Amino acid sequence: MPKYYHDDPAWSDIDPLPQDDGTLHPLAAIAYTEEYSEAMGYLRAVMAKNEFSERVLGLTEHIISMNPAHYTVWLYRAKTLSQINASLRDEIAWLNPTALKHLKNYQIWHHRQTIIDALDSPDGEADFIATMLEQDAKNYHVWSYRQWLVKRFGLFDDEEELRWTESMIESDVRNNSAWNHRWFLVVGGRDGQAIGEDVVAREIDYAKRAVRKAPQNQCPWNYLKGIVRHAQLPISTLKDFALEFADMRRPDDIYSSHALDLLADIYAEQESKEEAERALHLLATRFDPIRAHYWNYRKSLLEQAGTAA
Amino acid sequence: MSLVSGPGRGMTAMPAEMQLYVDRHVRYIQSLDTRKDELEYWLTEHLRLNGLYWGLTALHLLGHPDALAREGVLAFVFSCLHEDGGFGAAPGHDAHMLYTVSGVQILATLDAFDELEERMKGGRQKIGQYIANLQDPDTGTFAGDEWGEQDTRFLYGALNALSLMGLLHLVDIEKAVQHIQSCANFDGAYGTSPGAESHSGQVFTCVAALTIAGRLDLVNQEKLGAWLSERQLKNGGLNGRPEKKEDVCYSWWVMSSMAMLNKLHWIDGEKLTKFILQCQDPELGGLADRPGDMVDVFHTVFGIAGLSLLKYPGLVEVDPVYCMPRAVTRRCLGK
Repeated sequence: MPKYYHDDPAWSDIDPLPQDDGTLHPLAAIAYTEEYSEAMGYLRAVMAKNEFSERVLGLTEHIISMNPAHYTVWLYRAKTLSQINASLRDEIAWLNPTALKHLKNYQIWHHRQTIIDALDSPDGEADFIATMLEQDAKNYHVWSYRQWLVKRFGLFDDEEELRWTESMIESDVRNNSAWNHRWFLVVGGRDGQAIGEDVVAREIDYAKRAVRKAPQNQCPWNYLKGIVRHAQLPISTLKDFALEFADMRRPDDIYSSHALDLLADIYAEQESKEEAERALHLLATRFDPIRAHYWNYRKSLLEQAGTAA
Repeated sequence: MSLVSGPGRGMTAMPAEMQLYVDRHVRYIQSLDTRKDELEYWLTEHLRLNGLYWGLTALHLLGHPDALAREGVLAFVFSCLHEDGGFGAAPGHDAHMLYTVSGVQILATLDAFDELEERMKGGRQKIGQYIANLQDPDTGTFAGDEWGEQDTRFLYGALNALSLMGLLHLVDIEKAVQHIQSCANFDGAYGTSPGAESHSGQVFTCVAALTIAGRLDLVNQEKLGAWLSERQLKNGGLNGRPEKKEDVCYSWWVMSSMAMLNKLHWIDGEKLTKFILQCQDPELGGLADRPGDMVDVFHTVFGIAGLSLLKYPGLVEVDPVYCMPRAVTRRCLGK
């Protein structure tokens, strides 16, 4: 059912303001459907007289339901909420289904952040996020929002947070957003603070187990290399592990280009030039030929290193 | 690249699968503003000024710069300009960084800064000031509008527009550069804010902003180049993040970043060219995110700009930093 305002007594004091297109050129004239056009006319009118009221909340809700990407409407709604001291819990209760209807919208996340910040409590947010991620487990806005929650409410050492991340990785080991969140919890969000040896060992073990599940998955390999580098361990620490997936003596049994890539680095560091070349050659010709130019470039670096030595 | 490009060996000699339907795309873009009876038209009003920049840029790259009437475009752009120097997406929409950048890019492309001054005295300076006021003095990054949402897209947009107007001195470049540094991730790429997941679109904004600032030396170029080249999938298309699907718009975000790092040759250009061309609508024009999907002007410009980087014959050279014709940025920047 479309909703109109011209015959609603609650709005009889308002004369809607038509769209000012600036000029009458065809590029500027904007056609709306009637309902949207009328609602926008009333919004322009209340904005012009700086009205902040319950009915403005209703009007903005109506417009957002038709077009959630109209950022001006969100902005005016946020102002209205604070001007009339509206219940922020009610706002969250309304936002939940609205966000689920408009998964790709990002204005909604900024709005939510403002409200939760004012409420000063993350209660209920984890459940809401879980519902959102059921729709799209890699939704960038949702993960960014989760990071904000962790920072805002100091959840870095909350065991539940790490456990939740694990469950997300478990349900899809290729979810790079979940891996990034783990990095954020363990290393990235801690302002350069060193991490303990036990944590390093735990993380290496965790990433290795994930690689074993899907050796051609980029996410845990990136994570593994990141942890080793962050802990300032030599990459040769990972040599035996990489060999499990890429034994160059048996090219038919190689099942991870990422393992080969890592081996090439390890061999180069150990100055086993021939082995490194072999790994890069296999990548360029057989396991990742679409990036042959890149692998050949890496080979040329070996040559240069050889000449320099 | 084995694509032919010499004189007399243009598109007509191309096999059908390598054909770019230039005339169809021109007509598609021209048709966009005549579809006002469609629901989609007003639902995308919040993108109108961006859409105009995308369409206009695509037309310039296709070699049809006059396919949209200059006067009409300028009248619309000026109707989005607020007194404080910011642009909204359409008349009656609040000013925001993203539309302000599109407004400036259109004015630059049409060489219309003089007309801006006629229309608004000191207009260029006002726009510059609007942008400068959005910089966060503590962190160096930029907000999109008075809401204060921050994102590396806004930082890049600020440096893009200011440099086109010769007004970079209005902001603290060093602080901005430090902020970009703080968005670098363990995998060598960049996200929207410190700690946020690496994403090709954000890599583009960070690398382009550092290029404008003259600080590409801060990038781990080998590592980032490797991460970017890893975005190419077996079907030739590029994705935005590890383990995600390909999409034509990443032809731009990934390739432009690689071009700035001089590593474009690390991916397979021929396969990517074929993938982009498969995303065309050969009848009604326009490009989609992937073959068979519905076209839109966003994917149209980034697909065509990607083809320009791949030196597809007959296309105008694009500037990887600005996503505008190279001749335009050369005129604005004097280099």
